[in-house]
Amino acid sequence: MSAFHFDSLVWHWPIAIYLFLAGVSAGAMFFAVLLKHACLKDQAYRSGFVQAACIVAPIAVLAGLGILVLDLTKPFEFWKILVFYNPTSVMSLGVVVLMIYQVFMYAWIAITFRKPIEDWCRPRFAFITKLSEKLATYEASVTGLLIIFSVALGAYTGFLLSAQPRFPMLNNPVLPLLFLASGLSSGAASALLGGVLLKGNPTGKEVQFIHKVEIPLILGEIFLVFTFFAGLILSGGQSKMAAFTAIGEGFWGWVFWFGIMGLGLSAPLAMNLFMTATSKRKFSYVAGTACLSLLGVILLRNFILYTGQMTVS
Amino acid sequence: MENSRRDFLRRTCALVAGVSVSPFAVNGTTDAETEQAIKYAIVHDETKCIGCNACVEACRETNHVPEGVTRLSIERKGSYGEYPNQYYHFTRHSCEHCEDAPCVNVCPTGAAYIDKKTGIVSVHADKCVGCQYCLLACPYEIRFINPVTKAADKCDFCKETNLKQGKQPACVEACPTNALVFGNLKDPDSLIVATLKANSTQRNKQDLGTRPKLFRITAKPGEITL
Repeated sequence: MSAFHFDSLVWHWPIAIYLFLAGVSAGAMFFAVLLKHACLKDQAYRSGFVQAACIVAPIAVLAGLGILVLDLTKPFEFWKILVFYNPTSVMSLGVVVLMIYQVFMYAWIAITFRKPIEDWCRPRFAFITKLSEKLATYEASVTGLLIIFSVALGAYTGFLLSAQPRFPMLNNPVLPLLFLASGLSSGAASALLGGVLLKGNPTGKEVQFIHKVEIPLILGEIFLVFTFFAGLILSGGQSKMAAFTAIGEGFWGWVFWFGIMGLGLSAPLAMNLFMTATSKRKFSYVAGTACLSLLGVILLRNFILYTGQMTVS
Repeated sequence: MENSRRDFLRRTCALVAGVSVSPFAVNGTTDAETEQAIKYAIVHDETKCIGCNACVEACRETNHVPEGVTRLSIERKGSYGEYPNQYYHFTRHSCEHCEDAPCVNVCPTGAAYIDKKTGIVSVHADKCVGCQYCLLACPYEIRFINPVTKAADKCDFCKETNLKQGKQPACVEACPTNALVFGNLKDPDSLIVATLKANSTQRNKQDLGTRPKLFRITAKPGEITL
């Protein structure tokens, strides 16, 4: 069986990229909120890492949606997805989640960067400062709902594939959890990478905080990957077959063991432990670790999408 | 403060109550559906099928299915046995018109739907945006993107063509050996009900809970698969 072309293949790599970008956006917003509330408070807008997360999140989600629209057979009729809804369709529910998520994402960014926005607007468009004042009174609700919807978005990327009784590997209750965890860690990585590129301090408290959260997150991901495949193998039948096709010999087996387990999970885990233990944090360490995490998540999305479609029940 | 807390609780309770009651509303309509008068199904008698593909061609012509794609195909396996007793095994591939259709469940716009009057799984071509979620979901792999309309397409028992004219579906009419029986499962006097009562039949992938309505009177397999 060829790695990229086989009979039961319907969804190709653009979907994997979309799932990756949606996860990055959700994760970046999740960590931006955590950074603001757990360590930066009112000074959040000054942090390169929060700035990076707030730039990455909207761009990633819009780019992902753009790819999704271009991948339709009728790209100019994408608006019908926004007009017609089907409550039993995970994709339709996902559209709702994506729309609401974006509203709270922009609202939260506006609240967090209220000071620079108001400073810039006051001499020019005074009415905007009134709007932002009003918006800031809802900060607690906006933050809470943003967290809920970013987690929902991260999990949705998994539910989209797991709602497929035809494919035993995709039709797996662990998949949404795995995609949520890896989405959050890709968001953290993109905030770190963007942050150091925006001249954020690689030894700053933001980096220490994110690394502290990332270590248990990566351990959790490894456990979820284990549970995912152990569950498939123990289910027997086509599920077991699907698991062995995916992680056994062949192109995708290499991607899994070397790319995902090695470069994507073990290497960043080791680097995070090393940086936490020695407190040696350099630009190259932080950026390199973040790049490996992101690579691992892109590979994971492609790996699950392709190998998931290889074995039918 | 006290008031706003009370308001908050009240609103939350209303929301929870609304959400928890809504599934019952949906169930209510499905109960009504089960009392529908027509539920179309098809039987493929593999013991009578000679693999002539007349059904495939008739379907293409009647439903204007473009070349390169098809709503219906006959898979041929074999040959088995020694001359002069050689034989093939034929399997029909076409929409199985599931009672609980994965394609309908996943369609984000409702373009894939089950016709309430007839139980036919069908497609609103202009509602379809071409996300191909249904192609992914269908366990029988019978959906395709129509290169002309760019919408997902599949067998609809000739709902828009022959059925409208009061005829049998094109494949059934074309079959020279009467290997196909089409009819209404709700009509106890119909040929299909008689056929299903008189023969042991199989349906594909029933373990997925799709409850398909393509029944097969299976021919001898010719080989052993474990």
